[in-house]
Amino acid sequence: MMIKTRRLVLGILFLTGATFGQNTTTKQGHTNQNKFKQLKELLPTPNLQRTASGAPGIKYTQQKVDYTMDIILDDENTRIYGNETITYHNNSDDTLAYLWVQLDQNMRAADSKSPDIQPSSIPKNTSKKRFNKTYMTAPFDGGFKIESVLNIDDTAISYTINQTMMRVNLAEPLASGAKFEFKIKWWYNINNHRTDGGRSGYEHFSKDGNNNYVIAQFYPRLCVYDNVEGWQNDQFWGRSEFALEFGDFTVQITTPEDHMLGATGVLLNETEVFTKKELKRLKVAKKTFDNPVLIRTQEEAEEIEKKKATKTKTWKFYAENVRDYAFATSRKFIWDAMAVAINGKTVMAYSLYSKEANPLYGDHSTRAVAQTLKTYSKYTFDYPYHKAISVDGQMGMEYPQICFNPGRPDADGSYSDRVKYRMIKVTIHEVGHNFFPMIVNSDERQWTWMDEGLNSYVEMLAELAYDKDFPVTRGYPKNIVGYMAGDQSKIAPIMSKGDHVYEFGNNAYGKPATALWILRETIMGKELFDHAFRTYSQRWMFKHPTPADFFRTMEDASGIDLDWFWRGWFYSTEVTDIGIESVRKFYATEDAEKKTIVFIEDTTEGLNITKPDTAESKYFYEITFNKPGGLVMPIIAEYTYADGSKEKKTYPAQIWRYNDKQVTKAVHSEKQITKIVLDPDLETADVDLSNNSFPKDKKDAFSRFKTKMKN
Amino acid sequence: MKLKKLYFLFIIIPLLAFTTHKYYLSLTQIKFKEESKAVQIIINVFMDDIEIALNKDYDIDLQLATKKELKNNDVYFKRYLKKKLQFKINTSKKEFTYIGKEYDGDLVYFYLEIEDITEVNSIEITNKILLTHFPKQENLIKTEVHNKNKSVLLSKDDYREKLTYQ
Repeated sequence: MMIKTRRLVLGILFLTGATFGQNTTTKQGHTNQNKFKQLKELLPTPNLQRTASGAPGIKYTQQKVDYTMDIILDDENTRIYGNETITYHNNSDDTLAYLWVQLDQNMRAADSKSPDIQPSSIPKNTSKKRFNKTYMTAPFDGGFKIESVLNIDDTAISYTINQTMMRVNLAEPLASGAKFEFKIKWWYNINNHRTDGGRSGYEHFSKDGNNNYVIAQFYPRLCVYDNVEGWQNDQFWGRSEFALEFGDFTVQITTPEDHMLGATGVLLNETEVFTKKELKRLKVAKKTFDNPVLIRTQEEAEEIEKKKATKTKTWKFYAENVRDYAFATSRKFIWDAMAVAINGKTVMAYSLYSKEANPLYGDHSTRAVAQTLKTYSKYTFDYPYHKAISVDGQMGMEYPQICFNPGRPDADGSYSDRVKYRMIKVTIHEVGHNFFPMIVNSDERQWTWMDEGLNSYVEMLAELAYDKDFPVTRGYPKNIVGYMAGDQSKIAPIMSKGDHVYEFGNNAYGKPATALWILRETIMGKELFDHAFRTYSQRWMFKHPTPADFFRTMEDASGIDLDWFWRGWFYSTEVTDIGIESVRKFYATEDAEKKTIVFIEDTTEGLNITKPDTAESKYFYEITFNKPGGLVMPIIAEYTYADGSKEKKTYPAQIWRYNDKQVTKAVHSEKQITKIVLDPDLETADVDLSNNSFPKDKKDAFSRFKTKMKN
Repeated sequence: MKLKKLYFLFIIIPLLAFTTHKYYLSLTQIKFKEESKAVQIIINVFMDDIEIALNKDYDIDLQLATKKELKNNDVYFKRYLKKKLQFKINTSKKEFTYIGKEYDGDLVYFYLEIEDITEVNSIEITNKILLTHFPKQENLIKTEVHNKNKSVLLSKDDYREKLTYQ
């Protein structure tokens, strides 16, 4: 009855409003804007190839591409020649009318469009060298010189080159389950990566006239074909890296006779390319787990680099189930090796470096490789290959089983901590790429963060395992604040294509690494996170995961709904900013007459509560938290009590589900609260700490520093 | 000395090679503290960049945050900041006091103060920090005066800006 009357009253009120109101508009509805709305509409529909759990489905397939290559390095002319036979296995259910091949070297061709998409301007002044290079000299004659594309019976195949991509037009469509063999013969001029940049090339030492070669993206490579992108044939502009199929490589590389070479794959002719002494030392190294063993010493390398051999030798390799192939070679290389035990299996950690990189490389390179293999194996899966090589390549670039790293000591052999840690950091990072994306083979051209972000996160764990005081510079929440709080017009969501992001390093490395760190440390907890992360790694090892497979697996394996986290951290550029709006404080006392407990507010400023002796012993607070930042995050509140003790309480992010701007929470305690601080350990990347304390912290960073200086 | 410079170049180039992943940004936070009659300034810059700039400009070898760190480096920081950074408050040019610096990871924080300021109607900032050696350098300025927040992004082509608070 009561209800009926109320309805009537309400009805009259509405009617009045409609008749006499000034701004009478029909109420407009809205779609679901809740930050906890599920991601279903954003993620692709699960299917038999990629399931809703984030695992590969029963119909999952991927192509396989095998290569047999004959490579000749022409040291005198800094050229490389190749003759390759490609066997393409169509494991998909589809019939293919053509194949797409990546010609990455064409990015450096004289007619490359990569420079054309870079805005440029005339500077006020420039060095003479740069002026000549930019305005006076013809562009470098790089790019593949394709000599022939042939069938196995040497008949010509029709093909079309579109910048860095080549379409091989099949005479007969390639049926599901069938394979196609063809041959490409090519050569190109190798770039000097120290003067012209690049992720491969040579470094020239004018003092002794020698070159260190780090050779990669050097052969026409098949594109990925799958049911996500079709042919992944997006152009290579120079930044966003690769999408590649797994396959087996049989490779012969011919170099000057006095070169030391490291490459992807198992070396098949050790006795033909190493001296007896080197073979003996290698045998020792394979049983030495504590210290690197020198296979070729600095003294020996220095002796070799004085002369130039005119004869050649051929290195023979076989690499099974790798997505790519690379090598490094020079007569200057010193070589050391150490055995690493991975769950009962021995893996070899190798380093190749010129004397200019010693003793920095001798001290740390192979040890950093070993640490990486151990830590990554612990958090993902046992490293499945037989070796990992770090090369003094003076860049930071990764390929299967081999990577090129920076850092050299001063001429007197000394090096600063900064040079040391940077070299170790990059080495761990690049060796870590063996796991992401060399084995967990995500598509780098589309999603840089999937390998760089995940890898940068595990890199932190390996760095801290290498040296507990390692100066980790990326991945801690406080380190990303500067970027996330920056100019919004220069920030892209993590879920952006690599070629389109601003601040590549922060977008694709720092922010996703931080996001994972926060998930592990603050939101999911180590145990649930580690299990889910390992599940993802193992589900997708030797396969092609997509972002949805990662997001889904992390939830599926942990039992935690993280859609709000992916939406905020990965799909938006919102920031964390949670503050304390106000605090009301009360004591409780009994109203004997009404037989109720009454809460009496103490309206004085600050947190101090003065209560009569007759009152209840407990103290009561009503805290209103506000959230100027768009991200939903847990509220981490640290309560300091009158006796100096502290208590940390985390309210899960879901506390914001009904009101995204403000939420009030009642708190009671035995002891008086004297201070409340939000996110005291800087776990959430809160961009504004000035609203994190109550009573407000009057001492800002400046006053704190000034006081410190005075003392 | 010449030799030293050469080695130095040797070290820089690899850094740059890896820095396709890097960005060039400094942050200057300026706050007018009415109660202390002072304009307080905190600047953070990337340690490796500021080290390169000062080493080149003053022919020194800073080795910041290492055991071999140049001892009297504050002299150079002060000299550098005085040269690259100017403030005009209201209508007159004001000198700042260099209070000191501290390190946090790969960043260096500088603390500067302009004293005896009773009122702020406008601040004109000239910021040429790191612009000479890093053409892509951007210097973000954030100010807070009477609870009014204003910010501006300065760069090589545009290194001066007047912000008003009336």
